[in-house]
Amino acid sequence: MAVKIRLRRMGQKKAPFYRVIVADSRSPRDGRFIEEIGTYDPNQDPSVFNIDEEAAKKWLANGAQPTETVGKLFKLAGITK
Amino acid sequence: MLVKKKHLTPFPLSCNITKVIAMEKILEQALLYDFYGELLTEHQKRVYEDVVLNDYSLSEIADELGISRQGVHDMVKRCSRLLNGYEEKLHLVEKFVSLREKVGEIRKIAKTRESDPDMEEIEKISARILEEL
Repeated sequence: MAVKIRLRRMGQKKAPFYRVIVADSRSPRDGRFIEEIGTYDPNQDPSVFNIDEEAAKKWLANGAQPTETVGKLFKLAGITK
Repeated sequence: MLVKKKHLTPFPLSCNITKVIAMEKILEQALLYDFYGELLTEHQKRVYEDVVLNDYSLSEIADELGISRQGVHDMVKRCSRLLNGYEEKLHLVEKFVSLREKVGEIRKIAKTRESDPDMEEIEKISARILEEL
């Protein structure tokens, strides 16, 4: 089963805030996830991207697939396989 | 459209980058959804939520709903157009962002002079306004 690294929206209305989570690609919406490896807060100026680099690299090396958005964030943070 | 900032701060432990990026699109979409999402139909809402809030890919949503990827794509486009249309007429997001910024400024200034009771009061009131916005 494919494992994905994606964002999940948290935070109240009008204050979007995201967690970076590792989840099975077939996890139901708002459902379980395997691990939380970071946060992304676009409300701050500049935005704050907080990531457990080691965990991210580990998951990437194990074949987890980041979504397009997470991929962009990783690239900016200099995280590659 | 309305979000000026374009930088990403580095997380101190991992990296030191400050780059111009297109990431703010996600903030814009999320705010549009928060303000006007209720005006979409249930079906539209669900698809838009999956894309913008849960970061699902178009093909994942297509599989889940049993429609084509193109169908999902068209739907997201239509939703974006609808939400942007509301914003063009009502400007609620624009006003919200601008107010939040200005009240934030007031708060910051008042905070630097907190020894003054009037300033302390102003700080408190601006904090409350920010919460209620």
